[in-house]
Amino acid sequence: MAILLIYFSASAQQTSGIGALQSAVTKLDQAKTAKDYQALEKEFVKIEASQPRDWLPNYYAAYCNARIGFLLQDDGDAIEPYSDRGELQAKKAESLLDKAKQKRELSELYTVMSMINQSRVFINPMTYGPKYGPIAQQFLNQAKQLNPDNPRAIYLAAWFKYNTPKMWGGDKDLAKQLATQSLKLLENAETGINPHWGKAEDQELLSKYK
Amino acid sequence: MKSNTLKYSIVILLLLQIPLLVFAQHRISGTVKNNTGEAIPFAGISLRSTSEGTKTDSAGKFSLQTKAKGKQLLQVTSVGYRSLKKEITIADSSIYLDLILESNAQSLNEVIISAGSFEASDRAKGASLTAIDAYTVAGNNADLALALRSLPGSQQIGEQEGLFVRGGTGDETKQFIDGTLLKNPNYPSVPGIQQYARLNPGLFKGILFSSGGYSALYGQAMSSALILESSDMPDKSSVYYSVFSSNLGAGIQELAKNKKSSYGITVGYSNQTLYNSVVPQRVSYFSGPEYLVGDANFRIKTGKTGMLKFYTNWSISDVGMRNADIDSAALRSSYQVKGVSSYNNLSYRDYLNDDWKLDAGLAYSYNRVNTTQKLIGGDEQTVELPNEPFAGKNYHRLINSDFAQGRVVFTRMFSHNQALRFGAEHFYSKDHGMANDTTIALTDNLTAAFAEGDIYLTDNLAAKVGVRTEHSSVISKWAIAPRISLAYRLGSGGQFNLAYGIFYQEPQNDFLYQTNRLNFSNATHYILNYTKKVNNRFFRIEAYYKKYKDLVKTAPILSNNGTGYARGIELFFRDKKTIRNLDYWITYTYLDTKRDYLNYPGEIRPYFAAPHTATIAIKKSFPEINSFVNASYAFATGRPYYNIRYSNAENAYKIYDQGTTKDYNVLNLQLVHLFSIFKSWKQKPFSGVSIGANNLLGTRQVFGYNYSANGNIKLPITLPATRFFYAGIFMSFGIDRTKDITDSNLN
Repeated sequence: MAILLIYFSASAQQTSGIGALQSAVTKLDQAKTAKDYQALEKEFVKIEASQPRDWLPNYYAAYCNARIGFLLQDDGDAIEPYSDRGELQAKKAESLLDKAKQKRELSELYTVMSMINQSRVFINPMTYGPKYGPIAQQFLNQAKQLNPDNPRAIYLAAWFKYNTPKMWGGDKDLAKQLATQSLKLLENAETGINPHWGKAEDQELLSKYK
Repeated sequence: MKSNTLKYSIVILLLLQIPLLVFAQHRISGTVKNNTGEAIPFAGISLRSTSEGTKTDSAGKFSLQTKAKGKQLLQVTSVGYRSLKKEITIADSSIYLDLILESNAQSLNEVIISAGSFEASDRAKGASLTAIDAYTVAGNNADLALALRSLPGSQQIGEQEGLFVRGGTGDETKQFIDGTLLKNPNYPSVPGIQQYARLNPGLFKGILFSSGGYSALYGQAMSSALILESSDMPDKSSVYYSVFSSNLGAGIQELAKNKKSSYGITVGYSNQTLYNSVVPQRVSYFSGPEYLVGDANFRIKTGKTGMLKFYTNWSISDVGMRNADIDSAALRSSYQVKGVSSYNNLSYRDYLNDDWKLDAGLAYSYNRVNTTQKLIGGDEQTVELPNEPFAGKNYHRLINSDFAQGRVVFTRMFSHNQALRFGAEHFYSKDHGMANDTTIALTDNLTAAFAEGDIYLTDNLAAKVGVRTEHSSVISKWAIAPRISLAYRLGSGGQFNLAYGIFYQEPQNDFLYQTNRLNFSNATHYILNYTKKVNNRFFRIEAYYKKYKDLVKTAPILSNNGTGYARGIELFFRDKKTIRNLDYWITYTYLDTKRDYLNYPGEIRPYFAAPHTATIAIKKSFPEINSFVNASYAFATGRPYYNIRYSNAENAYKIYDQGTTKDYNVLNLQLVHLFSIFKSWKQKPFSGVSIGANNLLGTRQVFGYNYSANGNIKLPITLPATRFFYAGIFMSFGIDRTKDITDSNLN
């Protein structure tokens, strides 16, 4: 009896964990400002404490920190604590994935790792760019290799193509193509707990072409 | 059910015990966290004696089985953290440890002491300066010292080279490269015309511009130190060349395949004859100006953490010009200076172990300055007139200087980024030559020893306490210089800094040629500063008081009876945030200084001190069109000028005339456009064009006045040409060096 009870309470906890994760991810779909992401990051960290074996809470916490880095890109030194936290969380998530089997998940995670490294470039492009810019590209390439149809990796590639000056390989037409491709892949995106962000980001990027 | 579980547990426990019993292994387990309590995944755990090791999991947990017994050294390492060593005693039982690693990121722990200094480094975050930011200010003529005039504390001196800081002369600022003195940063002086720097500012990844209160590791600069750190390995091999209106440059950087070593060679040649034939100059040049410089570097990584660097620079220069003679309408004065110079620097740094670091450096430089001044008549022939004021106007002087320095610094690192540094250095200098028919010879051995501690008082309070002792053989004098600085960090990016120190300097060689009965001159600095760095903005305010003692007086006799003071307030504000792709900084410098030195009749405001100076540096990039606009503006209120002459009646030097020059204004502008051609090439070259103008508005600038011997005529000292223009193209293969090249302004 006791064991049964423990089993049930444990599984109840599990569902409440998933419930909490689902509710946080739903909120994430609506997040816009750095403040929103800061609050959500705290929520994911809390969820992580109850589900330490699940890669998702760490993934989302890292994603929130990466987003904050992008939103604060004109704030220089203010970004660093978020990049640091995000990197640690991404590394934790990585250690929870089976590198041979969970290729789709790894592709998602490497997309976020790419964003985190890019957020370091924003700290001071002159000093941090030469070091972290190439690392961001490497992670993105790996993400695309692991899952060529990852709409988030494709979105990030579009972001890089859009924001890089032409001389250094930027290409606005290609950026538009990639964002459109990413958006198409997101047409029937699920709304569950698995990574599904990207639609709003694609639309925002494409709106610059009007 | 309960009893079953218990049994099961016992079985498991027994199973777990078996390996321990059989192999007599011990288990060390625990967690690794940072000081905010977050788990550190993938931290390496190892035992020194057996080199057995493991890594922490995602939750920062680890477990290590070992056969080792007794006292053991456990080492924990993780990227971004200071490695931790812990002595443990392995008995029969297993050990559980909660380990905490300290971050080695400076921003998290360390209060960086910054009174009196601007640091521009490759570690800069946000609105802190990088070396490139510092040396890309428009109008810098590829001279770091000129670029740094856009920072508060320095004077806008246009008629000579050097950095005049806080009431100090250009000679009171010294430049150091990887710890060793760069004795002759510029080509030999020409009266009234600023000369170029010999070294390309792009060589450095770190620049510390101290306008006072600098570390005990450096000395012999009463006012200011420019502490330069040369770059390590290049990222890639590359070749570049540039063609500009009055100079040509080419270079190669080769990185070895294993990325353990690299070498580089660059050559630059500048000849202004053609330019001067198009843009009329105030003076007429009969030779040059012509400058040829070549340098080479070799860098090699030794072992895991060592780095050996060699840098050598060779240059020759020739400037010959004719001016009207101020004392006679019929005569002209001809001045020619030829220079040959070499600077060599060998530096080595390595971590001896986790706690000890060694920095060593050797430098040798040679400098030969050959100066000829003549009075010439209408027929271009030398005119010798025996009477004053013409008698001294024909002269020839040749000085050969050898300079060598050896230096070693040991650093012992402690927790909380505390450190103790100590070391010693020796400077050998030997000058020999001729001034007309008189032989000049001077040998000096200056020895210094120093120690300095970085002390962590609380999380937000740090101190740097140092002392330096120096002995000069030529004047047979000792000096002991204490240095103290403190930093107190407030929340939200604000910080207070305090500094105090005494700074000694030997009299200039020109005085030591005449007598060795002189003492060190010195200045005592008191500095209070507040900085706030937040969100890509940087504000700094600094107030100081400086007391000069034992300055060299040339009258009535050569002595150390000179005195002086300087005090002021300086402001700096930089903003990279408000407008995207626009970076600007604004400075204001207030200076109140007086000194009695050389032949001054008493304490007066020296000729190089303007009470109010303001500067603006602006850099705007247009990434869409690969273009950059770079502008700088400086304003300074008038500087004093004097006609100081010897009065036979009063048997003393006297001010016969004095005044204040008109205000100084200068606007420099540079445009850069980058483009790529030969896109199909495997190594696509990066190219750019750059055009610019210094003193774009053509403001008439008066730096002071030259007086005739009788004081009846005064002529303004002004720029050799109102505006200076440059235009050129550059191309780089391999690594994208466009940034460096556009930045170094290439005049």
